[in-house]
Amino acid sequence: MYLQIMEQIRQRIAVGDWAQGQELPSIRTLAVSLRVSVITVKRAYLELESEGVIVTRHGKGSFVAERVALATDLQQQKLDEHLTAAAKLAKLLGLSDEELATRLRRAKRNLGKS
Amino acid sequence: MSSLTITLVTRELYLNRWLIATAIFAGLLSVYLASTSQMGYRIGVLAWLTIIVTIGVILPMYGIHQERKDHSLLFALSLPLSGADYARAKMLGLLLCFFLPWFILSLAAVVLVLAMPGIPDGMLPFVVLLSGFLIANFSLVLCGALLMTSEALIISVVIVTNMCVSLFLFIVFSIPGINDYVQSAVPVWNEVVWTVLIVEVAVLSFALLLPLLVIPRRRTFI
Amino acid sequence: MKTSAFEMRNVRKAFRFFALDDVSLELEPGQIMGFVGPNGAGKSTTLRILMGLVHADGGEVRLLGHPIPRDQRVAKRDIGFVSSDMRLFQQATLSWHMRFVASIYSEWDAAYATLLVRRFNLQPEQTVKNLSTGEHAKAALLLALARRPRLLILDEPTAGLDPVARHEVLAELMEVLRDERRAILFSSHNTVDVERISDRITFIDRGRVVDSSNKEEFLERWRRLQLQLGAGIRLPQSPEIVDLSVDGQFTTLTTDRFTPELATQIQQAGATILEVQRMSLEEIFVANVMRHRKERAQ
Repeated sequence: MYLQIMEQIRQRIAVGDWAQGQELPSIRTLAVSLRVSVITVKRAYLELESEGVIVTRHGKGSFVAERVALATDLQQQKLDEHLTAAAKLAKLLGLSDEELATRLRRAKRNLGKS
Repeated sequence: MSSLTITLVTRELYLNRWLIATAIFAGLLSVYLASTSQMGYRIGVLAWLTIIVTIGVILPMYGIHQERKDHSLLFALSLPLSGADYARAKMLGLLLCFFLPWFILSLAAVVLVLAMPGIPDGMLPFVVLLSGFLIANFSLVLCGALLMTSEALIISVVIVTNMCVSLFLFIVFSIPGINDYVQSAVPVWNEVVWTVLIVEVAVLSFALLLPLLVIPRRRTFI
Repeated sequence: MKTSAFEMRNVRKAFRFFALDDVSLELEPGQIMGFVGPNGAGKSTTLRILMGLVHADGGEVRLLGHPIPRDQRVAKRDIGFVSSDMRLFQQATLSWHMRFVASIYSEWDAAYATLLVRRFNLQPEQTVKNLSTGEHAKAALLLALARRPRLLILDEPTAGLDPVARHEVLAELMEVLRDERRAILFSSHNTVDVERISDRITFIDRGRVVDSSNKEEFLERWRRLQLQLGAGIRLPQSPEIVDLSVDGQFTTLTTDRFTPELATQIQQAGATILEVQRMSLEEIFVANVMRHRKERAQ
């Protein structure tokens, strides 16, 4: 359970919901809103702190760590996951490498337009 | 008396308001009926007796025993009071619920005896003794309901005390010290009358004191 | 030193066919304790002793610092008790109950009560005897919650509730914990709920506390290992091994003291570890009770 919470927090940081240096909700507040025990959230925070993802300042609360690396690490990981999935689908559809690359370029172009 | 006790007693009166009101109304009607004719007298007296005996049974059965069966006793015990507090409040509440109609109907009966020329005033002591008996009877049933949890036992208490009503009517009415003077135009308060009255008061006191002594020593209230 | 929400030390109570023996339990403010046990284990009895409804034969009981049953009147002013076998006064309405409770407790929060009526989807003018099981349970809980008591003692609060009602109730219980001075003790068969929202968990079986500690610690200590033992290899008896069950080639080892060292020891004893599984609270509970019963039988 605490692993799920850790993952959720990492996601939100990676996506940018919680910026670097931003204060996280208090353990109790987060516990209540997630409907999970306080002790589980506390554990998640502790583990995240040992990983360096967040920093707890005594008496002040917990903050997102000032590390750009984390965000990109996570994002790189996500990208790899998505690319693997795309490669699998391409294989099923019988697309060649060039066709896949073309589709990717088109997707990127469409992004730029919106 | 704490405000919580007052709230609980008020609640008891409120819960039984229709019962009390009906008993008073029907009882007064019976007394009126008794004043109309010979036949009316017989029916009226019987009705008067039945009404008082009935509420004397319904109040403890419904007020205590049913609550236990309903498990609403648990809710009551979650309030800021001890088990003994609640039993006391119950006792006081139900006593008041009975006292109200009993007092009014007894008074009406006394008035009937004194006001009606057809009814000799010599009946007065007997009427007073009968009234006293009825409230002593009620307090015994109340005591039984408070102390016992077995439905069978409580019902036995109810049956026995009700049999005693008939016994009382036959026996006490036949005692020479009382019977001799029923027809007289003047009420006679002799030793026999006082003795019976004292016995009634003793029974009443016993029935009301016993729960007050036993319940606080209890180790389980549920 | 903060006063604990409640404390039971070495409580014992004997009945004709059952006895509570050496029950010790404690909870600090700001925490939720889940109280789990099979039917007839003594959960309800323990909670009733806590509330002063049953007097213990021995031991010490304190609620919010007040000795029970002596000071139960004072203690109960700040405590909410709801039991699944409790009934409100059948002939009255929920509104009447709300007025009744408000007249007794000064801490009644009428605004919060109104909010709860809406959240729990209740009709205040309905007579109690016409309420469904779920509605009745929610009504009883509402009457306790709206007083904002410092301690909530709940005997199977989600018993008989449909999933939606359960969700509503759990959400409100968690809301209570926003205030770190308040605490909740609840007994339940629903190990999923207990696992999710409890900070501390106590297991009880046949009148004795089998185990009581912090939830995460439980979940960390207990593991199920799927092993493959070579021919003729038998694992030595060891206090860390709670249970060993063999199914042909495969052995399942249950332990309540898992460490990497233990895994190494097992491998050194000649077993191949195929898988290390975490256990759900339900599995831990059953394994714990089974071990306890085996020990008592010896």
